[in-house]
Amino acid sequence: MISTATLTAGRVWRWPALIAVLTSFGLLSALLGEGGIWWALSWVTLALPLAVILACAARARRG
Amino acid sequence: MTRLSVHRWRWVHKWSSVVCTAFLLVICLTGLPLVFHEEIDHWLDDDPPYAVLPAATPAASLDRIAQSSRQLYPGQVIVSMFTDDDEPQVIVTLATSWADYNADPRTGHWIKFDARTAEVLEQSKPAGEDSQTFMGVMIRLHMDLFAGLPGQLFMAAMALLFVIAIISGVVLYAPFMRKLDFGTVRADRSPRLKWLDLHNLLGVVTLAWALVVGATGVINELSTPLFALWQRTDVKVMLDRWQGAPIASPAELSSVQAALETARAATPGMTVISVVYPGSAFGTSYHYLFWAKGQTPLTSRLFSPVLVDARSGALVGAVAMPWYLRALEISRPLHFGDYGGLPLKIIWALLDLVTIVVLGSGLYLWLGRRASSPATAGQGDTVLAPAHPGEAAE
Repeated sequence: MISTATLTAGRVWRWPALIAVLTSFGLLSALLGEGGIWWALSWVTLALPLAVILACAARARRG
Repeated sequence: MTRLSVHRWRWVHKWSSVVCTAFLLVICLTGLPLVFHEEIDHWLDDDPPYAVLPAATPAASLDRIAQSSRQLYPGQVIVSMFTDDDEPQVIVTLATSWADYNADPRTGHWIKFDARTAEVLEQSKPAGEDSQTFMGVMIRLHMDLFAGLPGQLFMAAMALLFVIAIISGVVLYAPFMRKLDFGTVRADRSPRLKWLDLHNLLGVVTLAWALVVGATGVINELSTPLFALWQRTDVKVMLDRWQGAPIASPAELSSVQAALETARAATPGMTVISVVYPGSAFGTSYHYLFWAKGQTPLTSRLFSPVLVDARSGALVGAVAMPWYLRALEISRPLHFGDYGGLPLKIIWALLDLVTIVVLGSGLYLWLGRRASSPATAGQGDTVLAPAHPGEAAE
């Protein structure tokens, strides 16, 4: 049986963990991949935190 | 998590942050131009243009370049040659003597040659007269606060505290967010609450990037002791064979061009980019030390040393790099953000700006902690009260 603490941690960490995994992927993809699509993937995944910040700020402004 | 452990982690987060924040702000601010150092250097570059020659023009012999260098500075020693793989240039570093150079590498000076025509393109100002450049000041502030090795070790400690602040921040994130949705910014209550939410949001979304840049920053700051360790262990063992042999004098040196070709043949699929002459504290007393690098994005960051006997010109072999120097080499691009084109650098700079906001908001929350408690604590921070018993007591 899953405890409420686990449920809470899962809910709290769902988005931050996903962003962390994607940005880690972006950090490595441009280094290990050879240009092209690997660079583009790293730009998109590393820009994700910036997009999330803007989205949350816009939502807060709307109230 | 128990109240007691939350309390302890809050203590770790608070003090690791408080100690490192001022220095981290210097690091982040100076890091901004440093991300774009290639572009800025290129923009400020007033070097004479290269002669336009057919692409297939062969490179001039390094022997010819060495000879020109000695003619320009008779009696001086050649310290090293950098054979760029980016631009058709060879940069020769010279010094008045090995004793002077090994005591203080800043006494060296350089001549820039066209790699194809062996003509002198530019020279550094005489040693000591080189004025501080803007980027030079930025890098010293970023790396060691103008304090050399002690400064590097100090900044390594600050970067380590930054990593600890991130980890403790992560631990505190879950209890803090228990009753809040991801990305909540309570902008309509109090400025303190708004900045607390922003601090948490900005911190958590940049978590992986900041951890990587922080941890690789620590490793980069340790490069001097790591190279010294290698010299005292693996390199020393390898040089035992030559123990006691006299240092190769300039007159005894074999052809550096022939040695370059020997080193190239020993490193197939790699590019030789520099040679350190025998006598340098960064090389050995008896060899030409060549540095070769790979050709893929990753392996072009990994350098392999190749030794060629400076008297006989015979290949001694490639020297294995220990794991800690490989880790240092991988740490460089991951810290500099210079491995994915200009868009990656722009993203790097924006993430750096976000980190400045996280640091600034953390400082604001710490400085304003008394103003919000206890009289006003009940208005905005009630959500925190159950999870953060330390909030009002700080």
